[in-house]
Amino acid sequence: MRQHASESARLSRRQFLVGGGVLLGAAATGLPTMAQAQGRRGEIIAGVSERALTLDPANHYSISATSVLRHIYDPLVDVTNDSKFVPALAESWRVVNNTTWRFTLRKGVSFHDGSPFNADSVVYSLKRVRDNSKLIKSFVYQDIETVEKDGDYAVNVTTKRPFGSLAAHLTMLGMLPPSAASQEDAFFQKPIGTGPFRFASWTHGDHVVMAANPSYWKPGLPKVEKVTFRFIPELSTRTAALRAGELHVIDRVPPDLVQTLKGSPGVRVLDVPAIETQRWHFQLAKEPVKDVRVRQAISLGIDRNVIIKDFLLGYGRPVVSPIPPGLIGHANLGQKPYDPQKARSILRQAGLRDVSVDWVLMKDLYPKQLEIAQAVAAMLSDVGIKVNIKNLEIATAREHRTAGTYDIFYSGWAHLPHDPDWFLGQWFTRAGAEKLTRYNNPRVEQLIAEGRVPDPKVRQQKYEELQRILWEEEPEIWPYYSVAIYAVSDKLRNFEARRDYYILLSDTSLA
Amino acid sequence: MRSYLVRRLWQSAVTLAGVSVLVFVILRVIPGDPAKMLLPEGAPQSAVEELNRQLGLRQPLYVQYGIFLRSVFRGDFGQSFQYRSPALQVVVERLPATLQLTLAAMLLTVAFGVSIGIVAAVRQGTGYDYAGTALAVLGQSLPNFWLGIMLILLFGVTLRWLPTSGFQGWRYLVLPSITLAAFPTALVARLTRSSMLEILSRDYIRTGRAKGLTERIVVLRHALKNATIPVLTVIGLQIGTLLGGAVITESVFAWPGMGKLVVDAIFFRDFPVVQTILILSATVFVLINLLVDVLYTVLDPRIRYT
Repeated sequence: MRQHASESARLSRRQFLVGGGVLLGAAATGLPTMAQAQGRRGEIIAGVSERALTLDPANHYSISATSVLRHIYDPLVDVTNDSKFVPALAESWRVVNNTTWRFTLRKGVSFHDGSPFNADSVVYSLKRVRDNSKLIKSFVYQDIETVEKDGDYAVNVTTKRPFGSLAAHLTMLGMLPPSAASQEDAFFQKPIGTGPFRFASWTHGDHVVMAANPSYWKPGLPKVEKVTFRFIPELSTRTAALRAGELHVIDRVPPDLVQTLKGSPGVRVLDVPAIETQRWHFQLAKEPVKDVRVRQAISLGIDRNVIIKDFLLGYGRPVVSPIPPGLIGHANLGQKPYDPQKARSILRQAGLRDVSVDWVLMKDLYPKQLEIAQAVAAMLSDVGIKVNIKNLEIATAREHRTAGTYDIFYSGWAHLPHDPDWFLGQWFTRAGAEKLTRYNNPRVEQLIAEGRVPDPKVRQQKYEELQRILWEEEPEIWPYYSVAIYAVSDKLRNFEARRDYYILLSDTSLA
Repeated sequence: MRSYLVRRLWQSAVTLAGVSVLVFVILRVIPGDPAKMLLPEGAPQSAVEELNRQLGLRQPLYVQYGIFLRSVFRGDFGQSFQYRSPALQVVVERLPATLQLTLAAMLLTVAFGVSIGIVAAVRQGTGYDYAGTALAVLGQSLPNFWLGIMLILLFGVTLRWLPTSGFQGWRYLVLPSITLAAFPTALVARLTRSSMLEILSRDYIRTGRAKGLTERIVVLRHALKNATIPVLTVIGLQIGTLLGGAVITESVFAWPGMGKLVVDAIFFRDFPVVQTILILSATVFVLINLLVDVLYTVLDPRIRYT
């Protein structure tokens, strides 16, 4: 990148001349070439932690793949960093009744091949993800009943039951041209969307290159000529590449690398509270944690502040309700106290001696997880609970969860749609939790169903009530809300550290 | 020789059939559910079931194996679960990266390993010998992971002579191939040294010297050729291993080769990709071994196969 820098310095004079020429030309002919003259300039290179396996927006839940694909495809609805849903390809939407939504589409948008974006695209994209059960996102859209166009620029969607989080889920679904239908395999090798960048090339396992879409529908965007996403799963390598100036931005920086990065010239570190809650869930059908008193004792025996301070170096926040701040349903229920004495007395009063629990970890999934688990095990042994840590390969750990052969399971949940409905429906309904935690509380189940209506006031109220129940029942330990940490080159302008871990660069430029 | 080759090829086929059964069964016996790994954490059980059905994993094992075997003979290794494209294509796409890295590392190994070994043997007991031995010990004991990161920090971050990672041309190949070559170079150096020492004490070497051959010809023509046989065996085995994937080196340098691919595939229970890679690398391994055995006859005319 040092080379790059001097090159761009050298180029600047030439670019100035070219720019000047274009300006003169524009003045002479009166043509609106201002945007080009204003300088869409340079290439941003991002390093992300996971390799994209597919360029099909309906066929993954990978955060890195989303980062790539949000540049090629636009969703109907977009979401801001403070979890507000804003128009993208849908100019507006309206809740007709609890099970009917109407989307009014933006006019004058075209796909990268010049074909127009219209209702046919929405009908195809939505029906495809609902009907093709091989697609990873298919299960989310099973509640959709009909998708019908009303003219070229409106689509009505009806659902089998209230689906209040529909708009939220649609932020994660790029719209495809209907021409993809007959040849999907070939299409996703060279995909076409309406997004700010056009797909240029994909070296599998290494990088994806995208070039600016000069006729993007958002005026003045994008601000750079090219964006490249490199896949660098190894953390130290990703960090080194940024420090060497080969990258402009990296995601998933762990707290203990922050100091190194801050000390590197030309590097800035950005952090933002993520929409993710860490959660260690109990196996609720199994002794001894079936007993709420054991769960209470465990909760009281854990000093969450030590975890945040000593292991996360402050890059974590205390939990006050299972749904993280910023999302619908968040409430302040107060922090869970650390009180080992009370924990011991609860166990003593209940006559529970020699409590021993198995704690299953999915190997290397969460930063510092093993160290944190070991510290917690030490804290709990202090109140008389023996913890056996089982650090297992992910697939094996998940099999243990399905089989119910664990007491505590180390996990986390990022609310990628910026809505808690999926999380609650999965973990706190009988059907959802059947092969997971075996959670079963009819009242909570009812509140979740009632909380699916589109009315935000109703949802907030239902979610607050159900979280109060969860807070008492302690079906999980919520140790901390995660913090998303990014490191960027100081040449990057207007980069927003996203709470959903995405790297979005359409509005970002280079100095 | 011909009947020997036919016999060896036949044995190889049996070995490969055995490998295919083993790989197939082991993958399905180990815990872990492909659909669950493909779907996000909170996918409903019904979606898991449906996806498993779609992937053909709900049929009895022998039926699955029959389908697999039939397809393999048609050159079809099935669809990758993760990539949703033919497993063979997924694997073959990674071949250039793997081959480049393997070849570069092997060239370094042969060039440096053999030369260090010869120098150490010829100058036995001198500073050269000790330096060579020290290098060899280092090469064998430094973990690839650490060596790779150190090279990245020195040549990528501090000096900025070479790119830290990625796969975009020969400059990107330098650091990973050095990292990968460290261990086999050390191995070959030590082996060459001891093998050369043994040969150099033979009578015919003394005879060679006595009849006035230059030291160069004695060492390089008469000694080295005979000392090469054990070294060749090891190099052959190393090539086989490297082709099967240099997982750690590939991870450190974000190198899109087969090693990382197979580990991820095992991790995600992407059975078709694991099967394809293991069967291909077993084939290569078997063939290279055969080739090495044949090369013995070239190097040492006394070796004859019947």
